[in-house]
Amino acid sequence: MTLTAGIDVGTGAVKAVIFRVEDDKEEWLSKCSLRIRSRDPMQLAREAFDQALEDAGVKEEDIDYVATTGEGESIPFHTGHFYSMTSHARGAQFLNPETGAILDSGALHGRAMIIDEKGKVINYKMTSQCASGSGQFLENIARYLGIAQDEIGSLSVKGDDPEEVSSICAVLAETDVINMVSRGISAPNILKGIHLSMASRLARLLKSIGVKDDVIMMTGGMGLDEGLCVALRESLAKMKGMDGATVVNHPDSIFAGAIGAALWGAFRYEKLAESGQLLKAS
Amino acid sequence: MTEKTVSEIVSRCEALYEDLYFNAAREWKAAKPGRKVIGFMPLYVPRELIHAAGMLPLGIMGGGDNLEVIHGDAYYQSYICRIPRSTIELGVSGRLDFVDGMLFPSICDVIRNLSGMWKMLFPDVYSKYFDVPQTYRDEIGGEFYTNEMREFLHDLEGIAGRKITDDDIRASIAVYNENRRAIAELYALRQSQPWNAPASEAYLVLRAGLVLPVEEHTQLVRDYVAAASAEQRPVKDNSRVVLTGMFCEQPPLNLIKSLELSGCYVVNDDFVLVSRWLMDDVPTEGDPVHNLSQAFLHRSMSTAAKYEPNEAEKGQFLVRQVRDANAEGVIFASTSFCDPALLDRPMMQNVLKAADVPFIAFKYAENSGQMQPIREQAGTFVDSIKLWSAA
Repeated sequence: MTLTAGIDVGTGAVKAVIFRVEDDKEEWLSKCSLRIRSRDPMQLAREAFDQALEDAGVKEEDIDYVATTGEGESIPFHTGHFYSMTSHARGAQFLNPETGAILDSGALHGRAMIIDEKGKVINYKMTSQCASGSGQFLENIARYLGIAQDEIGSLSVKGDDPEEVSSICAVLAETDVINMVSRGISAPNILKGIHLSMASRLARLLKSIGVKDDVIMMTGGMGLDEGLCVALRESLAKMKGMDGATVVNHPDSIFAGAIGAALWGAFRYEKLAESGQLLKAS
Repeated sequence: MTEKTVSEIVSRCEALYEDLYFNAAREWKAAKPGRKVIGFMPLYVPRELIHAAGMLPLGIMGGGDNLEVIHGDAYYQSYICRIPRSTIELGVSGRLDFVDGMLFPSICDVIRNLSGMWKMLFPDVYSKYFDVPQTYRDEIGGEFYTNEMREFLHDLEGIAGRKITDDDIRASIAVYNENRRAIAELYALRQSQPWNAPASEAYLVLRAGLVLPVEEHTQLVRDYVAAASAEQRPVKDNSRVVLTGMFCEQPPLNLIKSLELSGCYVVNDDFVLVSRWLMDDVPTEGDPVHNLSQAFLHRSMSTAAKYEPNEAEKGQFLVRQVRDANAEGVIFASTSFCDPALLDRPMMQNVLKAADVPFIAFKYAENSGQMQPIREQAGTFVDSIKLWSAA
């Protein structure tokens, strides 16, 4: 039996999970997510880890492997670090074993991956540096519109006449939105327009790495944005050769990176144990 | 005497590394009238001869990432690496105004051209293109190299104003042998306990040897080895890698730190190669110049700038480094536009493929600031080793 922790330090939030792995059984014991909001991510990682330990009813010294991912490589008490792409792939597969492709959309980037049946990343591509396809951009727009973050998705799906927004540049997109507000465009149509713009970018990303009729799991902070999921389905349906793809998400999509890290941590712990190089979480 | 801590030693080395006015060498020179400083560039010069002349060999590894190149760019085309530009910058900005001579070892055409520029820019400073043999047969390369060193000794005698005896050279060889042993101990520690002696610290300790008198540097290396061995730093589930291609233009410190943050234990490398070029003790009996020549021909390391006539042996030095260090992969990190490294790389990669050693490759410059792509590449490489390797 192996007890592992996964800690994912993202741009917007820190997520921690605890798993118990025995033979092929992977038991998810606890989870904790804390928004960063200008606080020290390293301190938050400690707090999230402590909370997850408490919720799981296990002590820190019982954890065999503390795996970090995202920006968590500087966490002093980690045993090993996994690159976020590797972790998200494995986490998405845990949340939905049918997953063939992953769209990790976070506060500052979007990343598309194709995986094999073992969770190994076969191909991937990231959005370029512009923030117009990111959660942070959407969060800024919501703030300008006076809309709470958790309302974004439900309002967006109500949009019936979306306005086109620049998908190239966040600055131009913000200017577009200001113009729309002054022209009296409704918030649902503005949000839907933004989601469609982001979705078209992400759909092109998926196509470029060879996604066809796969199950695409949405992960990262935007994984739960229903407006983005709907817009992505619409964009893919219009795209030649992509209409067989299925976009899914999961209530715990945001934890995909932490889950993947924890599960890879368990894998590594067992692999090291087999070769007699056992490491204990430090 | 109080033992120095790792933090104290590394802080001192970092201050020396960041000091682009080379104050440690200036102070050494000013401490006694008549002292001389001879600068040298990568890859290798026989520092023993400079030491035997009572002079300080000063390693000039370019300007790094803290030097703004203003004048240097005018001397080279845009498709040339950065080290010659920043070295010109160091020269024309007066940072090397205390240096009595400069050696430009044979490594590539760019450095050869730099030696000519130096002669024109600083006609009053001794400047030498230090040629090394590309034929490793005693009767050809050996004779050539011995003559080259004797010519250099003659020049040094002119600068020093005194004769340099064979005993002087033998004594200097002994001092550098001791330095090589200390550095070998440092690398042994890095291979046995990489968590206690990170590459980013070891690199700074090596760099200090470019500006300090060798005797002082040997003690510093030994102090670091003692202090680092006593540390109880946490062991991480990292991948052991050999880093290669950094033999001339040195990497920014942040690049090494980024590789370590990505999950690499760098267990061997080719940083500051002058300090490890000769792999073991040079005999202190007999003709010292002949001994230095023999060590160069038969007991020196292998790198892209060294011709390997035996096709079957090409790349095997790197494979042995991987095996000896129990490494799991190789990272080829080459300077942009580095002819020797980039021309050699495909051949080395073929050898690694045949030996079933995984590898990645990227390019850098001494002033590279954007580490995210490198972290991404190194991070996925480490993951692939940890999760998908056969071991």
